[in-house]
Amino acid sequence: MNGRYSREITVAAALGLLLVALAVFAPNFFELQPLLSRFTSQMPALVAAIGITLVIITRQIDISLGAQFSMCAVVAGLVAAAGMPLGVAILAAVGTGIAMGAFNGILVAWLGLPSIVVTLATMVTWNEMLRLWQQGRLLPLPDGIQWFGLSQAGGQGLVIGIAVVLLLAAAWAMRHLAAGRHVYATGTDAEAARLAGIDPKRVTLGVFVLMGGLAGLAAVLNLVQSPQVQPNSGDGLELKVIAAAVVGGVAINGGRGNLWGVLLGLLLLTNVNPALTHFKMEPYWERAIQGLVILLAVVADGMKRSKKSTA
Amino acid sequence: MSTCCRYGVDETSTLLNAVMTAAKPSLKSLLARHEVVLLIVIALEILLFQSLGRRFLDGTNVSNIFRHSVEIGLLALAMTPVILTGGIDLSVGSMMGLCAVCFGIFVNEAAMSPLLAALLAVGIGTLGGGLNALLIARFQLPPLIVTLGTFSLFRGLAEALTKGSKSYSGFPDSFLALGNSDIAGVPAQIWIFLLVALGIWLLVHRMTIGRSFRAIGYSPEGARYAGIPVRRNLGLAYILAGAIAGLAAVILVARLGEARANAGIGYELLAITAVVLGGTSIFGGSGSVGGTLLGYLAVAVLNNGLSRITAYQLFDQPISSVARELSGMLTGLLLLLALAVTPLAKALAARRTKT
Repeated sequence: MNGRYSREITVAAALGLLLVALAVFAPNFFELQPLLSRFTSQMPALVAAIGITLVIITRQIDISLGAQFSMCAVVAGLVAAAGMPLGVAILAAVGTGIAMGAFNGILVAWLGLPSIVVTLATMVTWNEMLRLWQQGRLLPLPDGIQWFGLSQAGGQGLVIGIAVVLLLAAAWAMRHLAAGRHVYATGTDAEAARLAGIDPKRVTLGVFVLMGGLAGLAAVLNLVQSPQVQPNSGDGLELKVIAAAVVGGVAINGGRGNLWGVLLGLLLLTNVNPALTHFKMEPYWERAIQGLVILLAVVADGMKRSKKSTA
Repeated sequence: MSTCCRYGVDETSTLLNAVMTAAKPSLKSLLARHEVVLLIVIALEILLFQSLGRRFLDGTNVSNIFRHSVEIGLLALAMTPVILTGGIDLSVGSMMGLCAVCFGIFVNEAAMSPLLAALLAVGIGTLGGGLNALLIARFQLPPLIVTLGTFSLFRGLAEALTKGSKSYSGFPDSFLALGNSDIAGVPAQIWIFLLVALGIWLLVHRMTIGRSFRAIGYSPEGARYAGIPVRRNLGLAYILAGAIAGLAAVILVARLGEARANAGIGYELLAITAVVLGGTSIFGGSGSVGGTLLGYLAVAVLNNGLSRITAYQLFDQPISSVARELSGMLTGLLLLLALAVTPLAKALAARRTKT
């Protein structure tokens, strides 16, 4: 299992094992309607995970994505509540996300500041701004927003469809477009990329902007699934998707990783909690398990690297 | 080895700076000193809050400024060696949550004396710091992602132990006095803080191990060739951070009279802000404990001062009742500003020489 896709195979095997265990011990896990709802509710995280994967491959990190998600959801909710059509609300959410992503990107790419501290600061700034502004109010949405005004099945189909199309497009672009290869090149060695004619600053700014836009879109995909907007809907999302990316084989040192691994990582992580409840374990362990999984993935990654360097 | 560290590059440059400052004590060179700028910022904050706020410089409020923020000061002290080595520890706030919950369990369910429980809580902090140290120093993994993982793990364990909502109270008065009484006119916990500050200052500025933190942050490879035990000293910085986080948790519980899983949420940001405001480079290699103390003072005064402003409103609420959110937001922006100043000044200077 030392091949190129060893991590993907390991994660797929773990996911398979988890699903088989569920099939044997808790077959009602696989009832169609709850399964579909669960899957749909994981789509926003998948869209955000696409963004963070690009950011991490560029050798950066963005822990403000959860705050961006919350902010975009509230902006979209307010626009929709003001009677604007859904399309305008979607544009507002994505635009807000792009603006916040550009703010991170400018500080990181142009001023050369470390992304972990920049995004830690913007995370707190957006979250507190939101709390100051909304004071924890639930924002009711007008009719015609939930499930895009379609039937529930239609809406679920559309949410899953959008996320899957985005995943396919991003995976294709990362492999076949010059822009996608530039992301890998910048993350592997920014100086070498610059000598090869790539502008690493522009690539870095680009991935942060894209991250913001995807956080906005993810917020919309989450918003249409309920009749109201929670003011803190993105809390903790950053850890979930960073864990998914790291588990899925994206190297935290940049330059390596692919979206299929991330998809598997996300499915594995998001099914741990339902599995815990099905096995009558306490759901309070979710965060601890998430942290443990991040640490295990990083240790596995480090051991692989040191083996390679001594060989 | 000792000669190389005693008269390292940064010592020489400090000496050079001192000589130059002494030779030409102009306003410009004075302003270039980070501590001076910070003192001006703090003075402006005090002036602002004294004129807008209610009884800001009142004796009890001044001691409250310190009483209510001493945990952040402790974390900032703990974070200074870590950032000097070029690392970061995002897990200290979560570590406080875990230590606070463990302390509550030890006293309430295991019927231990608060002193023994406090020692054990600090021990748990040391162990947690040891886990960070093991992964970062021994396995050479990036501190950012390791401490992001333990950030989640420690808070998660605290939540699991309390099933998400349980809190522990009913501590004896003798223990609560640690958080709420005065000794010689100064809040009791401030004495502990001063002791820790002195210890960290001695470590960082007067001991070989502490001086190696900056060498490691400046160049780990160079430090290794100079004979510094890089892994051991790097690990020590994280272990120390965990232990101090445990101590901060005990002090927080003593002040609030309650131990919950959410103790210390977001404190890592405040601590990092204090350190960076204090002039320690986020890339490691340079900085001082004195700077951190001033940075902490700036953050603490901002936090407290906003809560004294009752006469002005924001979003139809008196500023004092949204002080927590407002100061969180301003702290984030302050951190960004503090980080951006140096590269912005450099970029401007480069542009000026070009034209």
